[in-house]
Amino acid sequence: MSKVGRWIDERTGLGGPVRSFLNYAVPGYVHKNALYMLGGLTLIIFALQAFTGILLAFFYDPSTEGAYNSVDFITYTLPLGWLIRGIHHYGASAMVILTALHMLRTYFFSAYKKPREINWLTGVLLLFLTLAFGFTGYLLPWDQKGYWATNVGTRIAGSVPLIGDALMQLMRGGANLGQATLTRFFATHVLLLPATLALLIAVHIFQLRYHGMSPAITEKGKKEGGKFVPFFPYWVVNDAIAGLGMLAILIFLSATQRAPLEFPADPASSNFVPRPEWYFLFYYQMLKYFPGGLEPVATVLIPLFIFGSMVLLPFIDKGEERRPWKKPVTTIAAVFYIVVIVVFTALAL
Amino acid sequence: MSQSELAPLDPAKGVWDEHELTRRKFLEITFWSVTSVVTVGLLGAGSRFIAGNSFEPSTTSWVTLGPVAELTAGEVHRVNYSFKAKDAWRMVEQKGALYTFSDDAGATYTVLDGTCTHLGCIVQWQGGDNNYQCPCHQAVFTREGKVVSGPPPRPLRKLDAKIQDGILMAQI
Ligand code: HEM
Ligand code: FES
Repeated sequence: MSKVGRWIDERTGLGGPVRSFLNYAVPGYVHKNALYMLGGLTLIIFALQAFTGILLAFFYDPSTEGAYNSVDFITYTLPLGWLIRGIHHYGASAMVILTALHMLRTYFFSAYKKPREINWLTGVLLLFLTLAFGFTGYLLPWDQKGYWATNVGTRIAGSVPLIGDALMQLMRGGANLGQATLTRFFATHVLLLPATLALLIAVHIFQLRYHGMSPAITEKGKKEGGKFVPFFPYWVVNDAIAGLGMLAILIFLSATQRAPLEFPADPASSNFVPRPEWYFLFYYQMLKYFPGGLEPVATVLIPLFIFGSMVLLPFIDKGEERRPWKKPVTTIAAVFYIVVIVVFTALAL
Repeated sequence: MSQSELAPLDPAKGVWDEHELTRRKFLEITFWSVTSVVTVGLLGAGSRFIAGNSFEPSTTSWVTLGPVAELTAGEVHRVNYSFKAKDAWRMVEQKGALYTFSDDAGATYTVLDGTCTHLGCIVQWQGGDNNYQCPCHQAVFTREGKVVSGPPPRPLRKLDAKIQDGILMAQI
């Protein structure tokens, strides 16, 4: 350890924990399989979102009168505004994609099985919080898109039987969309969600270190399981390279296609067709199939069923078998959901 | 009781204070009780605070939609309104759009809120088809606001309307 390092270690006691974190033994089947990078990549994109989000907050004006102009200013006038908002905008989609892919990885590798139930459950919450980030962030520019999507989005909550109205008014901070809505979406997006997400990620990763990675599912992987490399630099470097690639893509997207901003929110416009962000489109499409009295099926029963089955999964699928090709029920269920989501999204595009 | 759970201290350092430890259970119970009560109190107050005045019914007010002279009887018109209203803690120009028509040569007007009763998109009047269509999930409403097809559970909302000094007004 360098002199400076030793000086700090003697005063903070951090040397040991940091070293054991970095020297953590990573089995070969993990280090050599790119699918295991997805969790780390999700973490990197979250860090990028936090960084660009803090920067945006220096110029964003959370008022119905000023929000639109401040976002317009960031996007078109402010030096590097296009870049910071662009990364944050495209990064939001990237985070949803990566979180979903990472979940599929752990799902198909049966990583949710005992003793990793809490790892999976914190993951489920992380997925829904990530979606909540998207939902609350969409409104903040206070443009037509965000305004109308939120109008419809909160009304979906409003169609829940019995408690729907209360739920909708709580989300809006009143009967209609207005300043109270923007303020609470802002507070949720920049304070409540980041703090909760960061805390959950800490629990998630502590679980991971406590249990170690779940066992390999292939024969080849099992053979590589006996050989280890230290977490730093081997695994970290893989993720860092992938992270750099992702950053390059985000910068490229920001430079070629400015993050969109529609006309300012206009409650009196009748020709604007609300559309949610692309990752909610499948749900929006599904609502079309449950007219009138059947609506609660789509707004309550199906989401509850999906959330419930995700929560219960590790307590139902308790067998030893981890190979997806030997577990037709879970595999077919996942493939079914994937097909439905892809098809519905395509139909709504 | 709980002494047994405590690892003995390094003798060079000292020993557990046995006298103090007799009160350990009492202190633990007190600590957790007070902490729970305060936590529940903070969360309760916090929830009430966050709810704010979300549940206050929205205030109604009469808005002007324009001179009836311009609203030819028999036709469906799209009218905009705008009025000063309180939005949370600030005064704003509240805006919206309504549909209106008269079937008795302008003596009375029917005023409909164009907000689709399904999920709140704004329906569009299609003169050619003589109906309102919702762009979101293809709902169709009759000229009078009744659901013809699609997911909406209720007809379009009808507003109270009156004519004052030749000006059509509606209560939103
Ligand atoms: C903000 C979102 C998330 C972050 C930052 C994150 C981070 C991570 C990281 C760094 C790993 C280790 C590397 C890897 O397996 O790829 C991991 C593992 C894991 N994650 Fe996540 N994760 C997130 C969301 C989720 C979600 C949505 C789920 C599932 C619902 C989930 C379930 C798991 C499980 C079960 C493991 C253990 C994998 C094993 O032992 O093989 N995570 N997570
Ligand atoms: S919002 Fe009008 S049909 Fe769904």
